[in-house]
Amino acid sequence: MQQKEEFIKIIKANEGIIYKVTRAYTNDTDDQKDLYQEIVYQLWKSFETFKGLSKISTWMYRVALNTSILHLNKKKRRPDRVSDFELPQIVDDSSTYLEDQVSELYDQIKQLSIVERGIILLYLEGKSYNEIAAVTGFSTTNIGTRLGRIKQKLRTNIKNQ
Amino acid sequence: MELEEMKALWDTMSEKVEKQQIVTDQLIMEMTQQKYKNKFSKLLMYERLGAVVCIVAGLLLLFNIQKLDTWYLMACGIFTIGFLLVLPFVSLGAIRGMTKLKVSKYNFKETVVRFEKAKNKTLFIQRVSIVLSLILMFTSLPVFSKIFNDKDFFLQEHGIGFWIFVTAVGIGVLFFTRWAYGCYNRITSSAERILKEMDE
Repeated sequence: MQQKEEFIKIIKANEGIIYKVTRAYTNDTDDQKDLYQEIVYQLWKSFETFKGLSKISTWMYRVALNTSILHLNKKKRRPDRVSDFELPQIVDDSSTYLEDQVSELYDQIKQLSIVERGIILLYLEGKSYNEIAAVTGFSTTNIGTRLGRIKQKLRTNIKNQ
Repeated sequence: MELEEMKALWDTMSEKVEKQQIVTDQLIMEMTQQKYKNKFSKLLMYERLGAVVCIVAGLLLLFNIQKLDTWYLMACGIFTIGFLLVLPFVSLGAIRGMTKLKVSKYNFKETVVRFEKAKNKTLFIQRVSIVLSLILMFTSLPVFSKIFNDKDFFLQEHGIGFWIFVTAVGIGVLFFTRWAYGCYNRITSSAERILKEMDE
């Protein structure tokens, strides 16, 4: 019971991570909710083996990104969802366009490959090259090279729009 | 949007998201339940059911193999039985390889590589299955005809209706095979592109 309480506490404290990853790997709200609950399920399954061997956020990103990759192939196997839930609204008191800007941001991220999406997500989250390397398995030098390529790709995409 | 702008917007969004509660304690508990996983495995259940049907049919033919009294009927029988008994295991094994990937065991890079390789393997088996199913369509007819009706399909007279039916099915299967090959090539080239990207 104590383990479940601890798990709930961790999920609630870090649910933003799951939200941000799921939005980058899905195209509609329903699919995002399916992926969201799948990630929570996978986190629970690996919670016992996690035992604080790495930082909570590193473990969560690893499970969330890996689950998203596998989910890309499961879209047609939509599971029945548990009780429905609402995804957060990104609104700002000073600007009603924030959600539009965020949508545009995600549109740009979704133009990248599945691997690049994972790397840019971690970069935007403010993770160091070492942390990105720990989650993804690439070397820190390789992360630098890949981020350079991603920047170039984003610029080209903007020019082509 | 430049990367720096993206970063600033991302931080604003993160701040907003973190202030909102997405799921309740109750919902988290529901999401951890095993019943949810079982619903995902429904497709695998149907595939297992198909495998059982194949194996039962294969065993039925195997127990009656002595009724195939010519070399060509025996050849058709061996192929049909082999197909029905072996392919379900190969196919289920490949699907299992894809669905049993442990998301917490490997890092992102390893997961992508393992998943794409497993996907390629499954697609290859599916491609082989399609070709073998085509052959099965023609080998199973004489086998079932001999075992259950005691008639040699190759020595029987067949009316024009039968040949029209066989030709129509043949053309249909040909189009299906071409379409399936197209799909296969698209998916494998996408998988290969991803694998290549991992090595860059």
